[in-house]
Amino acid sequence: MAVFALPPFPDLSIGPDMDLQLALIFLQQGIASGLVSGSVYALLALAIVVIFKTSDVPNFAQGEVFMAAGYVALYLFVFQKMPIWVVLPATLVVAFLAMALFRRFVLDQVAKSAKDLVYLVIATLGLSYVLKGLVRRTGFGDTPRSFPALVPTDSIMIGQASVTMLDLAIFGTAVTVMAAFFWMFNYTKTGRAMRAVGMNPKAAQLVGVDLRRCHMLIWGLSGVISAIAALLISPKILMTADMGSIVMLAFAAAIVGGFSSLPGAVVGGFVIGIVENMVGLFISSRAIVLAPFLAILIVLVLRPQGLFGGKLTIKKV
Amino acid sequence: MADLLEIDGISAAYGRIQALSEVSLKVPEGAIVALLGSNGAGKSTTLNTVSRLVPVTKGRIRFAGEEIQSWASHKVVSAGVLQVPEGREVFRDMSVRENLDMGAYRRSDAAGIRRDLDRVFEYFPKLQERLQQKAGTLSGGEQQMLLIGRALMAGPRLLLLDEPSLGLSPVLVQQIFAIIERLNKDGLTILLVEQNAAIALGCSTYAYILENGEMALEGASAQLRQDDSVRRTYLGG
Ligand SMILES: Nc1ncnc2c1ncn2[C@@H]1O[C@H](COP(=O)(O)OP(=O)(O)OP(=O)(O)O)[C@@H](O)[C@H]1O
Ligand SMILES: [Mg+2]
Repeated sequence: MAVFALPPFPDLSIGPDMDLQLALIFLQQGIASGLVSGSVYALLALAIVVIFKTSDVPNFAQGEVFMAAGYVALYLFVFQKMPIWVVLPATLVVAFLAMALFRRFVLDQVAKSAKDLVYLVIATLGLSYVLKGLVRRTGFGDTPRSFPALVPTDSIMIGQASVTMLDLAIFGTAVTVMAAFFWMFNYTKTGRAMRAVGMNPKAAQLVGVDLRRCHMLIWGLSGVISAIAALLISPKILMTADMGSIVMLAFAAAIVGGFSSLPGAVVGGFVIGIVENMVGLFISSRAIVLAPFLAILIVLVLRPQGLFGGKLTIKKV
Repeated sequence: MADLLEIDGISAAYGRIQALSEVSLKVPEGAIVALLGSNGAGKSTTLNTVSRLVPVTKGRIRFAGEEIQSWASHKVVSAGVLQVPEGREVFRDMSVRENLDMGAYRRSDAAGIRRDLDRVFEYFPKLQERLQQKAGTLSGGEQQMLLIGRALMAGPRLLLLDEPSLGLSPVLVQQIFAIIERLNKDGLTILLVEQNAAIALGCSTYAYILENGEMALEGASAQLRQDDSVRRTYLGG
């Protein structure tokens, strides 16, 4: 099966004579770096999947929400010189409100006049352009910038992998946020109602769930998760108005995880992060862009429903 | 007795399809009232206007003296109007226990919820045995029981039952209706939608017959059982 043969890159960093010691170091470094970038993919994939599970809509604006949240933080912190303990909660509140209000005043309105879900998907595409346009207009996105790191970026060694305190903070925060979200989703009354809405919105209404409020809450939380991802990664990258394109990797993560499973989204995020880093280390940094597709291809060939997807079912229309 | 539910000249439409035109009916407190009619007559639509899933274009709906035709669906549930929908509308991937907990979604009186859970187990001992089983893997009869149990968990005053006999074996239909009558004896008011006219006329005191979205006939159930046209059309001779 040579359908996916990589072109022969001249800068192959591994050859038959590459020594085992180096391969082991690469392996450890790939996993460590993969878990860090994977944290961001996992958060974004989680934000996408929780919306998809409950609204049946892939939110194509998730990357731009992530990007815009980063710029809100940058604006408040760097340009308005607000203290960080104001900037962080303010950014999360803005992200929550933006998404909740989008759900309430755009999507609910679109859904009222058009039954087809396609229109909702188009509305999310519209949001992505609006957010990108807004950031471009402000001009803050013209010069690529980095958000100042709040945590020291000195390297430390874990095993034979070199990571920074910032990396550890990113990973630790992401895992904590995801754990808190799982707990909310699986073990609280509100979370149970969200799952109910995803399984059967009509039945949820018949037991008294306020569908509109529930959707606003879900979209708002999904915005908060994306904003956290932005706050975590923006010290490590150059922010531009296009940084939202990273969401492709989150979609890849969601697909790998089965697209309707929250644990799947998280594991998928880490898988994509690690595969990406491994490809970069062992094959070529130029092949990195192919990594997510490689991961999707392998997973879907072996397990068409994704790592955590349930049985394949034909959806009732 | 006073009417707990009063539907007064309601119309409803799905886009251009007129589903109900000027339908009226009354459910006295403590009664079982049957709403009959063939496929597509508008029975489910009537229940859904009361549950506020389908908007009315005309007319009023009163529950316990309050006009509810413009309320949100969750407010109607809080007021004590619970629908047991047709088909198997359980939360498939949740356990039986979680489905029952969802029934109590709008309540916060822990003691009352506990009491109602015990009551549900009394009516449906089967559910207690299957508490951890996923609702989607229950048999059709068990799912119907779960749906009724879920509605009971809300502490309803009025139960809107949509075709509880649908797709069940004769033995199970007997069982379910025995429980429906027991619920009514224990004080619950019931509006019962059925295609199985024989059994519905048997357990109700008053009945309405819908045809093409209009009320065609109404009367005391005992009388309708004797009515020639009803016998021909709905009781098979
Ligand atoms: N969601 C909907 N969209 C469009 N038309 C609908 C919808 N639901 C019901 N209808 C139409 O409204 C009419 C009444 O339907 P309804 O479901 O109330 O009938 P019913 O008496 O409950 O029938 P059944 O015994 O088959 O359940 C039918 O003509 C049906 O096709
Ligand atoms: Mg029906």
